[in-house]
Amino acid sequence: MGAPAADLQAQLVALLPRLRRFARTLARNAHDADDLVQLALERALTRSEQLRADAPLAGWVFGIVRNAWIDELRARGRRERLFAPAEAGAQAATTDAHVAALSVQEALARLPEEQRSAVALVLVEGLSYKEAAHVMQVPIGTLTSRLARGREALQALLGDT
Amino acid sequence: MEFSDETVMAYADGELDAATRATLEAALPHDAHLAQRVARQHALRVRLKDAFDPVLDEPLPERLLAAARGAVPARAAGNVVPLRRAVPARWSWPQWAALAASLVLGVVLSPWLGRAPGGAPLVTHDGALQAGGALARALSEQLAATQSTTAPVQIGVSFRARSGAFCRSFVLRDKSALAGVACREHDAWQLQVLAAAAGPQGATYQPAASSLPPAVAGAVDELIEGEALDARGEAAARAQGWSR
Repeated sequence: MGAPAADLQAQLVALLPRLRRFARTLARNAHDADDLVQLALERALTRSEQLRADAPLAGWVFGIVRNAWIDELRARGRRERLFAPAEAGAQAATTDAHVAALSVQEALARLPEEQRSAVALVLVEGLSYKEAAHVMQVPIGTLTSRLARGREALQALLGDT
Repeated sequence: MEFSDETVMAYADGELDAATRATLEAALPHDAHLAQRVARQHALRVRLKDAFDPVLDEPLPERLLAAARGAVPARAAGNVVPLRRAVPARWSWPQWAALAASLVLGVVLSPWLGRAPGGAPLVTHDGALQAGGALARALSEQLAATQSTTAPVQIGVSFRARSGAFCRSFVLRDKSALAGVACREHDAWQLQVLAAAAGPQGATYQPAASSLPPAVAGAVDELIEGEALDARGEAAARAQGWSR
């Protein structure tokens, strides 16, 4: 077992503002983002035995948040395919148009999940490349190439080329 | 000296090794283009921080503080009744009492259970809640692929549950705006979850099949085995009477 439960809970409370910020980079809707954080907190507390004493807590919980988000994306994809065939066309139409004047949130939301997570972890959360690669469970080279591509795509979407 | 994009990026992120960093910093004052590339990376970081840092100053939602402290999540919203999740077998009277107390469903369900022109859509059998009347007929016969958008019952997704049974989600296009999931077991459509798709103010709201309440969508996610049925699978399941 790692740290005592009360200690872990106190650390999670302290981490809450950052968890909410990270979740907001993934799910644009604030309520969805908080749902994500809540789910991640529940999972973190039930899996606390997986937490290594020498590993930073933030990275571990960020990883749980991101995995919960990936689960959610899969579930949404399944629902969208099945529940909203009529809306698919409407969504596709906006994909290429209106690239100008996007907010940062909108621009970030258009990146593939892998690039979005890399950008969020390094540029918003301030993780080192090594820490971010650990959260995403990829080699550092993969992280930096996703980060570079994400940056380029963001700058293009934000009209800064 | 030329610096690659990755090097400039790593410099902006504070990830360059000391030697390369010193070389780059020595070049900066004499290379306007390099300085511009570095500034561009800095600017993006600042823009992202400006966009998301305000979240840090927001008051923390009580539910998240409770979750961080390990409190049991208060998931059950007033308008959602998970029929099967906690109680796989049969409903008992205390659960019916809980249902009656439920803010929205208490209002919504009582007329549904009583009135029966052509059969009430919800019936009790041996303590379990089953589809009846038009709802049962739609669940047995209607195909999502070909249904009319004005049909009183809109079928959403059909799928095989982990139990092996066929299940289907539905939305009632009437004032109740009730949505749910039913599974075919023991020759009847057993309700798994029911939720009001619209809030109390939404009396005239016509729910689209895509606007399933989260509880219903969540129930699908919990029940489903693999992927949902496509149009062909749906028709084949109907042809075999939705039996396993």
